[in-house]
Amino acid sequence: MGTALVHSLAVTEKRGLFKSWTLLLAIFTFSLSLLGTFLVRSGVLTSVHSFAADPERGLFILVLLAITVGGSLLLYAIKAYDVKSESNFELLSRETLILINNVVLVIICSMVLIGTLYPLIVDVLGAGKMSVGPPYFNLLFVPFSLLLAFFMGIGILLRWKKSSPRKLLKQLLPSFVLAVVVGVGAAYLFNQDLAFKATLALVLAFWVVFSLILDAFSKVSNKADKLVGLSKLSPSYWAMQIAHLGVVVTMVGVALVATYSEERDIRMVPGDIVTLAEYSFEFQGAEKISGPNYSADMGTIEVLKNNQFFATMHPEKRFYPARGSMMTEADINAGLFADVFVALGEPLADGAWAVRLQYKPFMRWVWFGGVLMMFAGMLTVFDRRYKIRKSALPVTA
Amino acid sequence: MSMRRVLLFIPLVICIVLGFLFAKGLPLNPTELPSAKIGKPFPAFSLATIRNANEVLTEASLKGEVRLVNVWATWCPTCKQEHSFLNKLAQAEGVEIIGINYKDQRNKASEWLKRYRDPYVFNLYDEQGSLGLDLGVYGAPETYIVDAQAIIRYRHVGEVNARVWVELKAKMLALGWSPKKS
Amino acid sequence: MKWFTIVLVLLSFSVFAAIDTFEFSSDSERQMFRQLSEELRCPKCQNQNLAGSNSAIALDLRRELHRMVLSGQSTVQIKTFMVDRYGEFVLYKPSVNSSTYMLWYGPFALLFIGFFVVFMMSRKTSVSAEKPTDNEVVNKSAKHEETTSHRQKMHDLLGSKND
Repeated sequence: MGTALVHSLAVTEKRGLFKSWTLLLAIFTFSLSLLGTFLVRSGVLTSVHSFAADPERGLFILVLLAITVGGSLLLYAIKAYDVKSESNFELLSRETLILINNVVLVIICSMVLIGTLYPLIVDVLGAGKMSVGPPYFNLLFVPFSLLLAFFMGIGILLRWKKSSPRKLLKQLLPSFVLAVVVGVGAAYLFNQDLAFKATLALVLAFWVVFSLILDAFSKVSNKADKLVGLSKLSPSYWAMQIAHLGVVVTMVGVALVATYSEERDIRMVPGDIVTLAEYSFEFQGAEKISGPNYSADMGTIEVLKNNQFFATMHPEKRFYPARGSMMTEADINAGLFADVFVALGEPLADGAWAVRLQYKPFMRWVWFGGVLMMFAGMLTVFDRRYKIRKSALPVTA
Repeated sequence: MSMRRVLLFIPLVICIVLGFLFAKGLPLNPTELPSAKIGKPFPAFSLATIRNANEVLTEASLKGEVRLVNVWATWCPTCKQEHSFLNKLAQAEGVEIIGINYKDQRNKASEWLKRYRDPYVFNLYDEQGSLGLDLGVYGAPETYIVDAQAIIRYRHVGEVNARVWVELKAKMLALGWSPKKS
Repeated sequence: MKWFTIVLVLLSFSVFAAIDTFEFSSDSERQMFRQLSEELRCPKCQNQNLAGSNSAIALDLRRELHRMVLSGQSTVQIKTFMVDRYGEFVLYKPSVNSSTYMLWYGPFALLFIGFFVVFMMSRKTSVSAEKPTDNEVVNKSAKHEETTSHRQKMHDLLGSKND
């Protein structure tokens, strides 16, 4: 919802349009965070994340919600009528694509909200208890995100108010073909199986990247020295590029991890070797060690990648006598292109152990995309336009 | 432009509807899980009793009376808490209680019953928990109301005490049960 | 040794889902078990699936699941078995029936409505300009207006491109 707001604000700032949309999104974004407070503290939902379930507290928060959200929406309903914008833009314009962006983002948000509240609705209506969980959310999130990526690739290249369809097609068609070729190629290089969703995600990721590159070059098309021209582009422009790049980086990370990760829970005796993707894990037994406030069994697992030494990993099973609790300390080897995870379960007979092995490709990309988006946000702060606004304040105040 | 006016009120309307939903939802307990077996016949089983390892009973032995079926175990602390109340029910109100000793050990159960008294008409020895699984048991103690045709009518999860008994008694009376003084 | 422990701590985190050691005769069986243990909800826990829970009932149900997978039962049969005993509550992926149409098809319906609205909005030609009323909303957008025209002037002066 916040993302939709940011985009909508951009339109309002640059074109004076979408004022009431922007307003509504701002109200929704804040209302949802208040709603979150209510949901975890009132006890209407069970979750590993929810705190004390206290209906009394819940009622208090609900009243608070009614006043703030209800009040602001009431104000909106009455007053927003007077806020009108000149809405003259073509179907093929940046405004339309941002509207589409808003629609998709708001729907993704609504989908999560509906899914979360559905069991409650069914229960209140007396139709029994049901559950909505990760399988639902994961299943529905995918088509909408892919749709978002698709429109992102187009939206980046569109001009405000109106874009020429012919010029756009000239840019998009080769970009599309190239994206398919490179995307499928990259997917195949990574894993011969060429799973549909993962390949599609890669194709769309390259689609967006090529659009970003095309747009950057079109901005310096009339400059003699392209590189100098690029460096002169405003920080907020680069922030936009990096932020969108961040989105597709995360998308690629999620797609590859969800499709190609492998995992085994297995009984291993010293000397056993298990293979996951291109990694082989040899269990070399466990020894007793002790730390400052615990005693532990530390396992040694030698990992080979493509039959060459990769790492020696040491998962632990710790016992803390102060509380009498057992903790499992996994060992994770976090690399740029894959995470390898090893954990010990229970000791079994004959020196065997229950071991959990996981291979998660491109796991860090999920985080890295987020870091890029964050970095882009911080970059925007340095844009000149905000400094100008500061000096304008004495005038408007 | 009144269409636009109407549209602008939609978010507010949605908010109000949700508000009512939450207000209604607050008193509900999301961790309570009603039994999926209510109205269905008691699942088929063939188990021995605690008293006699050679006596094998089936679901047919549940027919004839409106009874309580109590799922318990020696490893379950709440079961111990409710046990004295079950004793009272069996004696004072003449309630017939059938026990299911869930995932326990026979000798431990016998000892326990000798020590804390045995209010049960008979006790099924469900060592593997297979009957519990078929019943949809997810934690002891659980108490079911089973009618004379061996149809499950209600399930209560947790301790049976005086407060709970008021509710259970009402339901049992409605099914045609009458208290018998011993 | 100290250096080593520090590196170890940096590289590790705690995990507490149970690690079972069920054996399967094929990868597809293993896959089916994994998928079902993630799709089935533990009847007792605070919103955890069977795979992630350490409670006794979850352990029992995983064992039962393993038995059923090995005996060749289908996903539908296994889910029916569980729903028979624990109700629809135990499915994290709600079944598609008349009471869940809103859930499964709602978002897509909303998508079409949204696209339709966008299409309609872009076809409208200019509507009346704003009325200068004295409420916050318009003041806020007036500020935007000022900044926009101000920025416009600055850009004209500085000659940089309007992005």
